[in-house]
Amino acid sequence: MNQQLRRRLAYGSNATLVTAMVLGVLVLLYVLADGSRARWDLSADAANTLQADTEAKLTLLDADGLPVEITAFSHQRGKEDSALRDRAVRDLLVELDTRSTSLSWRIVDFDKERLTAERLGVNDYGRIVVQRGQDRVDIKDRDLFRRVGKGDDRGLEFLGEAALSRAFAQLLAPTRRVVYVLQGHGEPSPTERGPGGLSDLVAALDIERYDVEPLDLLRTDREGNAPVVPEDAAVVVVAGLRGPLTAQEEDVLLEYLGRGGPLLLALDAGQPLPVFLPRLGVRIPDGLAMDTVLVFPYKDRPVPVYKSHPITETLREGKVVTMLGAPAPLRLVEPAPAGLRVDPILVGGRESWIERGGESVGGSAVFQAGVDGEGPTVLATAVQLLPGGGVVRPTKPAARVLVLGDSEALTNGLLAEGPGNKDLALNAVHWLAGDDQRLGATKGRRTAERRLALTLEETDRLRWISLLLLPGLVSILGLATWNSRRGR
Amino acid sequence: MISARQLTKRFGPLTAVDRVTFEVEKGEILGFIGPNGAGKTTTMRMLTGFIPATEGSAVVAGHDVFEAPMEVRRRVGYLPETPPLYRELTIGDYLRFVAEIRGISHGDRLRRVGQVMEQVGLSGWEGRILGSLSKGYRQRVGLAQAIIHDPPVLILDEPTSGLDPGQVAGMRDFVQHLAQDRTVILSTHILPEVELICRRAVIIAGGKVVADDSIDGLRRHAGGGLRYRVELKDADLDAIPSLVGALPEVEQVTPRGVDDGFTLLDVRAPADPRTAIARLATTRGWTLRAMERHVPSLEEAFLAIVGAER
Amino acid sequence: MQVAWAIYKKELKVYFVSPLAYVFLGVFLLLAGAFFYLGVTMTGEASLRVMLGNLAIALLFLLPLLTMRHFAEERRAGTFELMMTAPVPLWAMLLGKWGATWTLCVALLAGTALFPAILAYYGEPDWGVIATSYLGLLLVCGAFVSAGMFSSSLTDEPVAAGMVGVVLLLPFWIAGTLAELVDAAWLRATLRHASFLTHIEPFSRGVVDTAALAWFGLFTFAFLFLTWRSIESRRWR
Repeated sequence: MNQQLRRRLAYGSNATLVTAMVLGVLVLLYVLADGSRARWDLSADAANTLQADTEAKLTLLDADGLPVEITAFSHQRGKEDSALRDRAVRDLLVELDTRSTSLSWRIVDFDKERLTAERLGVNDYGRIVVQRGQDRVDIKDRDLFRRVGKGDDRGLEFLGEAALSRAFAQLLAPTRRVVYVLQGHGEPSPTERGPGGLSDLVAALDIERYDVEPLDLLRTDREGNAPVVPEDAAVVVVAGLRGPLTAQEEDVLLEYLGRGGPLLLALDAGQPLPVFLPRLGVRIPDGLAMDTVLVFPYKDRPVPVYKSHPITETLREGKVVTMLGAPAPLRLVEPAPAGLRVDPILVGGRESWIERGGESVGGSAVFQAGVDGEGPTVLATAVQLLPGGGVVRPTKPAARVLVLGDSEALTNGLLAEGPGNKDLALNAVHWLAGDDQRLGATKGRRTAERRLALTLEETDRLRWISLLLLPGLVSILGLATWNSRRGR
Repeated sequence: MISARQLTKRFGPLTAVDRVTFEVEKGEILGFIGPNGAGKTTTMRMLTGFIPATEGSAVVAGHDVFEAPMEVRRRVGYLPETPPLYRELTIGDYLRFVAEIRGISHGDRLRRVGQVMEQVGLSGWEGRILGSLSKGYRQRVGLAQAIIHDPPVLILDEPTSGLDPGQVAGMRDFVQHLAQDRTVILSTHILPEVELICRRAVIIAGGKVVADDSIDGLRRHAGGGLRYRVELKDADLDAIPSLVGALPEVEQVTPRGVDDGFTLLDVRAPADPRTAIARLATTRGWTLRAMERHVPSLEEAFLAIVGAER
Repeated sequence: MQVAWAIYKKELKVYFVSPLAYVFLGVFLLLAGAFFYLGVTMTGEASLRVMLGNLAIALLFLLPLLTMRHFAEERRAGTFELMMTAPVPLWAMLLGKWGATWTLCVALLAGTALFPAILAYYGEPDWGVIATSYLGLLLVCGAFVSAGMFSSSLTDEPVAAGMVGVVLLLPFWIAGTLAELVDAAWLRATLRHASFLTHIEPFSRGVVDTAALAWFGLFTFAFLFLTWRSIESRRWR
């Protein structure tokens, strides 16, 4: 009887059950393996490895648990690079997916799946729509790819990881916050779309979930109360003063700093300065910051060197250049007033100096001791005003201030031209607003493209080699074997 | 050495082998005979462990085929109905492969392969490709693979099928030679072969064992005893059967017709009745043309047994 | 293990003298050459991505042709009986056969080493990516061989076994392409997990992923296990 039972287990209907159970265990093992995977990127320069910042954001998204759905629309078929672009997007989405539990993605053929496109209101190729709950962020193709290089080195840079990383940051930001931009002294306008306006910065901030509002500190309200900086201000921007601040404005801003309010000061050479500037540990002497060595290749502009700071960290890593107009040199008050922490973030090169006229050689300014100021120059500095240090009231948090010796760097013109300007501006706002977590946009990356330049003749030879050589060898081998076995 | 107990194999609703029970002693050659489709091959497959029995058990070479299949497999040499050959391999490669899976150590393998090839008469044929061999040679290779590990038990399924008479004789001698120190089960439906080689046979029909006896026993059993043919001539034809039948020695008389005036009789008797019949013929003045004792062949016995079963 | 090794050697011997293997090898390398040429000239990249991706699909149709005769032929020639009445555990037989066919795949892929060599001559391929791509293809081969063996264990008719093999593998391919058309995120994810395309993809980019390794390993094991069950149950029936 015992034997009968064992036979049934081994061969009978129970065998089906056992088989199903084993298969179930195998599926379970896969699920476990999927949950705790390790990945090694063996490609040259680890092209598939996500940057730490992106992974950190994915972790935050996962912690929240709300599903993130990414819909990427295909690029126009047949167009140059479209396959390459689709592939780059796909590879990135796969890579993001493997690192996240809350993310799902889909690539939609823009031409075929019109319904999906219409449902999402998308009418351009290559757009990526990121949705999370009620929130949605769109990334346009032009923010995903950038043509780089010249001649044989021409290629496509893929900024997808940076763009998606920013989108994640935006989705992660709990609420929209307000950035106030001081107006009334001939400053560039947030709504101005020309090269001198700030509309692009406003658009970039909008994606990062900041609303930008103009700030007027001259007018009193209807009840005759003196103006104040609104309580909801995340950052106040004072950029490109062309006229002096009134004493009242100075007081209001100082009061705002006293509350621990963050301030972005973008000032220009030869223009009025806030009287309270020295209290922030910074003075701006006459003259222009100049540099002989570090000159951006095509424009006659000094190129700042990044000093280590949360704002500049990723820009340093990515070796991305920030472009400035005609920057004013900053002088740090020595010794720094008590209650301040002053950290320069942009400085001139070793050969930089402060030009105050005097000799020029071949039309270019040169350093002339005695007339010009000595370098190296400081072009931007971060300042933290500690509580109880004279400006910030003891009970308030430290106020963060960024002093930038150039307001042009934030305008549409240079934001488009300087590869690092936008990231610098956004990083600055994030840092000022205390949103350190969102600092560090990620680098762009060249799409994995290893050119194979073949002449027509080579192509022709390649065809015959690849099609005929191996099958021919196999045929010979096969015939030889067959022949040796004949008649045995 | 081999004992099958109540072996049963059902394929769905069909019972191919039905409670087959038999024993084979050490050193014995057992003929396993039956019509095609009787369940011979299925029974042998169960004995080798190739297919498991639905019910019942079998012990081969001291091990239960279900409990310890590997032990049984190690001790059994098996030649299936068609020799199991890889058409693409050479004889040498094939036998070396079998030796290896039979667990013959590397050192012994070559020697052993040479030995069996000589035994079955394949010396010098090592490089031949199996696919190009004739039926007889394939059978020899099949036999070689069955004995390569020198098994105490040999199970041969129709080893002579498809061989020409000369080859059959050779195979017969060889099996007899092998059996000197082995236990052999040999299935066949060619009965003269069994008569020559085996001392005992199991007849199986419709999945059941219908007879299990020594060859002599089977014969005796089949004919219901010995028979005698008598041919007598007399004017009065009709009287002959009754008069012969009246003899005390005779059990039964069956007239089998008339030939050239002679009456042909089939006489069944427990003891030899020929002297009595001769005496009767002399007394009666009959002409006695022939009188012979007929020993039934196994074939007749087989047909009688199988026929009776049907 | 000794027995599995013996079967492995025997299977390889049978392969390399059978015309089928050479036809197979020839067809495979011709396809590989065509994919390589098209991939390189169309993308202008020093990459094997197009070739390797297409080869994985081609293997889906070709490998069952190679494995279809495994058990069908053994049964027809009666050699299956030889194996199962010799002290050969079934797993040793499966392992030996799987190993031999997989080794043949290694030989196939080794043949395509010509193509990276061409790339290296004309351009600068990413060797890391090429190495992982080949690793991925080897895993695909192992998985497909295993599935092919299972299909071969189901029927005695080699041609039917070959077709069953292809039909068996097709869903694992289609699931991946189907996933892109599905709206429900959970179903899309499930389909992606089921498809070998998803799991070979990291390898084609130079990434070695333990989950993908596990998928191929478990897939291979699952079908070897099913083959074992199938053979056992057929012996019983």
